[in-house]
Amino acid sequence: MLSPLFYMQAIALALAQIWANKARSALTTLGIIVGVASVTAVIAALVGLKTKILTEFESFGANRVFIFPNRPDNAPRNLYPWEKIRLKTEEVEAIVAQCTTIKAITPVTDIGLSAESDKEQLDGLTVTGIWPDWHTIENRAVLSGRPFNRVDETNARQVCLLNDAAISELKLPMEPLGEHILLGGRRFLIIGVVETITSQMFGSSGNSAEIFIPFSVAAKLQPDEFFFMRFSALVKSPELAEETKSEIRFILRKSRGLVGDEPDTFQVEAIDQYIEQFKALAAGITAVAGGIVGISLLVGGIGIMNIMLVSVSERTREIGLRKAVGATPSAILMQFLLEAITLSLAGGFVGVAFGQLFAFGLSKLPDAQLDKAEVPTWAVLMSFGFCAVVGIVFGMFPAIKAARLDPIEALRHE
Amino acid sequence: MLIELRDITKVYRVGVETIHALRGVSLTIERNEMVAIMGSSGSGKSTLMNVLGCLDRPTAGHYKLTGKEVSRMGATELAHIRNEQIGFVFQSFELLSRQTALQNVELPLVYARGAGWRWGARRRRALEALDRVGLANRVTHRPNQLSGGQKQRVAIARAILNRPAILMADEPTGNLDSQTTLDILALFRQLHGDGQTIVIVTHEDEVAAHCQRVVRLRDGSIQSDLPIVSDTAGRFCEVVEARFRKPAARVEGAA
Repeated sequence: MLSPLFYMQAIALALAQIWANKARSALTTLGIIVGVASVTAVIAALVGLKTKILTEFESFGANRVFIFPNRPDNAPRNLYPWEKIRLKTEEVEAIVAQCTTIKAITPVTDIGLSAESDKEQLDGLTVTGIWPDWHTIENRAVLSGRPFNRVDETNARQVCLLNDAAISELKLPMEPLGEHILLGGRRFLIIGVVETITSQMFGSSGNSAEIFIPFSVAAKLQPDEFFFMRFSALVKSPELAEETKSEIRFILRKSRGLVGDEPDTFQVEAIDQYIEQFKALAAGITAVAGGIVGISLLVGGIGIMNIMLVSVSERTREIGLRKAVGATPSAILMQFLLEAITLSLAGGFVGVAFGQLFAFGLSKLPDAQLDKAEVPTWAVLMSFGFCAVVGIVFGMFPAIKAARLDPIEALRHE
Repeated sequence: MLIELRDITKVYRVGVETIHALRGVSLTIERNEMVAIMGSSGSGKSTLMNVLGCLDRPTAGHYKLTGKEVSRMGATELAHIRNEQIGFVFQSFELLSRQTALQNVELPLVYARGAGWRWGARRRRALEALDRVGLANRVTHRPNQLSGGQKQRVAIARAILNRPAILMADEPTGNLDSQTTLDILALFRQLHGDGQTIVIVTHEDEVAAHCQRVVRLRDGSIQSDLPIVSDTAGRFCEVVEARFRKPAARVEGAA
């Protein structure tokens, strides 16, 4: 067994060697520095991009799940009548009670109603019934006035929210709060103006008139009790989307008494395909970057092997002396291996430092959308791990060469 | 018996040529002897030293060191034997240039078996060894700040650090001027006086004259193995030279 002192001295000696041959060591480790710096920077950029895009997805509903009634494919209509497949208010309540991964959920129902203001009368306007949580789920705040609250819902108060397009179509004043409109012949108080979101990515156009009323009010306004509703839910985080989908599926199947391989009579969908696409793209970029890094680490490793061979040859007499005073072949092997690893790790250290610098530079680039770029800890640890492996793999041959030197020959070496 | 060589042969192969460096050498050295091994180049004295110092294994024959057969040991075992039983002193000192005198002296302890964490003890031992060679005031000097004689003293301190059974010196004064040579030889004699067994390989009669016994090699065999009786440096030379000049008279002189 080699003593702790041996390891301490071997590492101290390795550092001293690197310091004594500063220029040589720097040139030798250049391959490793470049490799590690570039992979660190690429990972930082990808992390930045991912954070950015996920944040964007979140704001538009990447962590949203939609639940629709759905007749199973090719199933005869008489086996699955509408009463059996339509969503019910009890079901959304069951989901609220049992689903652990959602932040909020609302039933949504659309009714075609006539709308009438002092100056305008419109027929067949879509009025949407929602729970107060809809604001959280859709990420749509009210610009003026107030959003719906629990009291509106439980007391089925005849209040409504509308958007700018609805205001102009109904020729209401710019600040319509406190005005009344007639929806389906009933009088509704306007309590707020809802923000309009335009997103090409997720196809909600901001140009059509939208009017919202409490869900309980909308339910009463339906002509019959088997009206259509869908659910819209917000998952706690985008990664949980799959879990949420299976939780909701479980809850609904149970409430509908579906057993065995009976098909679902509903559909649960999440907007996660974009995330999946982006993740695939990021994985592709990472693989390409990994390949480049692999090549530069290979080049760096060959550099290290080369310099270690030079070092063994330069220090042949020293090796001979160490053997004469009792260094075993394995002690010599370990010493040169530690030197190669130290050199490689030193290169990795400088590389990570440069990578951090690049990442910082990237995050400060205007218009690059990379302000969230940062080097994750796992990338730093992985870099050091790879450097250690390179040191071991490429330091092994010179170290074996040193360990096998004949002490007599070595001491005679000029 | 400290060292017992029986019928040691060493054969090298250089290309197609076979070189018989040692042809059946038998030699015993007792504890606390001070022996000179002499011979011209090609006589096999270096090979003998390498075998004695466990740097090399004989092709045939037996070598018992402190009662242990070492002639068939593997590289790792031999390294441990060198670390624990043998101290080397070389002609060109072989100090590590970037290390201080103390670090150079400590070197064998780095490779010592079962050394553990006892740093204080090893530092004390290294300082003790430096003190014994008279360099207690040069502890933190590096080799380039030391004179030739001082360098060799550091090397001797390193060699005696592990209290070896044998101190092997290979032309220890070859790179030193005559005054320094005398100082170093005096140091060897002082160590010998303290009970150290010393084997010096040299081609200089003045050096051999400081020993108790001279083993002379020629063409891979022991040509003569004689004790020296007198005690004064000047007279040794004459005695040794006279003996070598007249081989026949040598045996009588020895008796």
